[in-house]
Amino acid sequence: MPKILLVEDNEMNRDMLSRRLARNGFEVVVAVDGQQGVELAASERPDVILMDMSLPVLDGWEATRRVKSDPQTAAIPVIALTAHAMRQDEELAFAAGCDDFDTKPVDLPRLLQKIAALLGGDHK
Amino acid sequence: MKAGGSAKDEHHVPAKEVSHGQEAALLRATLENMSQGVAMYDVQHRLVTWNELFRQYLDMPDEFLGTDRTFSDYIRYLGKRGEFGDADIEQELAKRLALLSRSHSFERVRPDGTVLEVRRDPVPGGGFIAIYTDITERKKAEMQLREAKEAAESASKVKSAFLANMSHELRTPLNAIIGYSEILMEDAADRGDAASIADLEKIDAAGKHLLHLINDILDLSKIEAGRMDVYLEQVPLVRLLDEVKTLVSPMMKKNENTFVLDCEAAIGSLRTDVTKLKQSLINLLSNAAKFTKKGTVTLRVRSDEAAGQNSIRFDVIDSGIGMTDEQLGRLFQAFTQADSSTTRHFGGTGLGLTITKHFCTMLGGSIAVTSTPRQGSTFTIRLPLSEGEAAPVLTGAAAAQSPPEEAVPGAVTVLIVDDDPAVHEVLSSTLSKEGYRLVHAYGGAEALEIMRREPPDIVTLDVMMPKVDGWSVLGIMKSEPELAPIPVIMLTIVDDRSLGFSLGASEFMTKPVDRTRLVALIRKLAPTGTGGVVLIVDDDPAVRGVLKLSVETAGMRGTEAENGQAALDWLAAHQKPALILLDIMMPTMDGFEFLERVRKQSQFQELPIVVLTAKDLNERERTFLAENTLLILSKSAQPIGTLGSALAAIAGRHQRE
Repeated sequence: MPKILLVEDNEMNRDMLSRRLARNGFEVVVAVDGQQGVELAASERPDVILMDMSLPVLDGWEATRRVKSDPQTAAIPVIALTAHAMRQDEELAFAAGCDDFDTKPVDLPRLLQKIAALLGGDHK
Repeated sequence: MKAGGSAKDEHHVPAKEVSHGQEAALLRATLENMSQGVAMYDVQHRLVTWNELFRQYLDMPDEFLGTDRTFSDYIRYLGKRGEFGDADIEQELAKRLALLSRSHSFERVRPDGTVLEVRRDPVPGGGFIAIYTDITERKKAEMQLREAKEAAESASKVKSAFLANMSHELRTPLNAIIGYSEILMEDAADRGDAASIADLEKIDAAGKHLLHLINDILDLSKIEAGRMDVYLEQVPLVRLLDEVKTLVSPMMKKNENTFVLDCEAAIGSLRTDVTKLKQSLINLLSNAAKFTKKGTVTLRVRSDEAAGQNSIRFDVIDSGIGMTDEQLGRLFQAFTQADSSTTRHFGGTGLGLTITKHFCTMLGGSIAVTSTPRQGSTFTIRLPLSEGEAAPVLTGAAAAQSPPEEAVPGAVTVLIVDDDPAVHEVLSSTLSKEGYRLVHAYGGAEALEIMRREPPDIVTLDVMMPKVDGWSVLGIMKSEPELAPIPVIMLTIVDDRSLGFSLGASEFMTKPVDRTRLVALIRKLAPTGTGGVVLIVDDDPAVRGVLKLSVETAGMRGTEAENGQAALDWLAAHQKPALILLDIMMPTMDGFEFLERVRKQSQFQELPIVVLTAKDLNERERTFLAENTLLILSKSAQPIGTLGSALAAIAGRHQRE
């Protein structure tokens, strides 16, 4: 079962998305801020990270940079999730090292497609 | 005198028979019945004739009203009484005497606040006549009008900001409504509970409609506040059109419409803002789908030449209900659909077309519509192909290309506190190059939390933040022993006025410049009567021209410089001007740097400088300010020196960028 690390500070968004991902056959680990996200990325070694960008303690951009600069976690694909559906946000997310980008509110089928694309053939 | 009597008098009593005495009485009566003050001077400038209003307006004592008194006596008397403020009386007199040979007029504010319009005309045979009109009420009304206008403009801005915030606040709970109804739908589907699914779909659809409405309102308020930025890039059209097709296909199925995408194979690419173009096309196509039943909706894309300009033309053609001319007239106005019943029948926010029109304008293009009732409508968007777009460009290239920042061990940690992600972007790209380790906070509370856990070496603090603002954060920091020593750089990006003032600006005016106010300011700031020089510093020759006119209206001479450096050079080579009018956004050397440099020179410390700023700072200008100005404030109890030296290093590094 592919493991997803969901880094999201908003309780309702975290609850909704984790439940729906679990229903779709993923093991879900949650982190409530960027710092915890970086720690769980290292200890849990998820297959994909879904990263909110406006996070407390460490924001999503910085957390992604840290995940990507640690050789232990650098290979884990990160999908940025942001409420501001702006072009600049997308560029910023990619600049921070994110592998893909999606906007909130989450369109689940679209997000599942992106997750599947990043998991590729390695995780069946 | 009755109107009828005039012709009769003329007929029976010829003018030559009017005695000298009668003529004088007639003249006297005319003068005293005028609503203006009048004074006539002979060739030797002696006061020959005047009326009561002249005496009242100028508050002249009787001894000055006699034929042995001259214009010069009277000006000197007024000067001694303080009517010209601190100005040199002889200079004031010389100025007035020089003007007497031709007709001229000017406004004078008396010490009691009365505003007089003074008009002087030479009379044949020498001498002149002076006419005084009391325009105090008119001036007051003008001022009230201007204030009302400014109040209305600021109210409109506040409204836009409120809407933008409100929209954000509304979206959060709405996302929960939509999200949980989707979860419940999935649960219901697992249980095979079809009745619940139908109900939940209604909640979901209503929620999504509301979300759409809020997004539209947010867009429109951003546009109205001048905060909508254009992001240009090379867009391959075939790929864009494929995406659009995928997105609109479900809408087309709803009313059993056929969707046709008709595009030249070699359509190529277009330099534009892909998000705005996509949204515009989807707006038009979803409208077409909504107002057409069992018909055809076509999106036709062609390269086109209109008005000598190469462009791409997008036609959205439907075979729907169409519109009357009257409906067409109201089409692009916010909050109106063809008629109010349309909203009930077809739904929609009524904002889509307004937003689309704004977008097309922002992209340097246009939108047009033709329609026949019951036959269909065609909406046409034209976007220019040429490189020279007028729209402002905010390239994300720099952000995209900059390598991910690496945390250097032992590096100085800077906590960036700002609610605006754009500011984080700008500061990150600048500061990370300098080897700083960056930590980001998007609100005051979050910033304090981070500081207490992991004290940074330096904090950059935005003044304007929702909930806990920069001043409050600073106050809390200085009250906590662990946080108090951390140096703070206050960033004021919204409030460039205080930034300018702290750097030494004398006055501020917003562009477009109100000429009357400018002339008044020049008169206030520049020593009157010197006929002095006003140095106009602005990179736009058209603006310089307009300013020069105002300067000359105020009776001064204008000289021009196209940027801060040119102005510094001019100052070094010439005598001190009476006043400087200074633009902020300029190439080579901007207004802020110029201000700083000029104020460092002791002979210019008192020189009046009026800073001209754009009314609404757009993203580009805010970025510019964020990149070029770091305001250092010493709000802490500690001496400026200790704080200052740590910060000057950053500010200095920043400035050299």
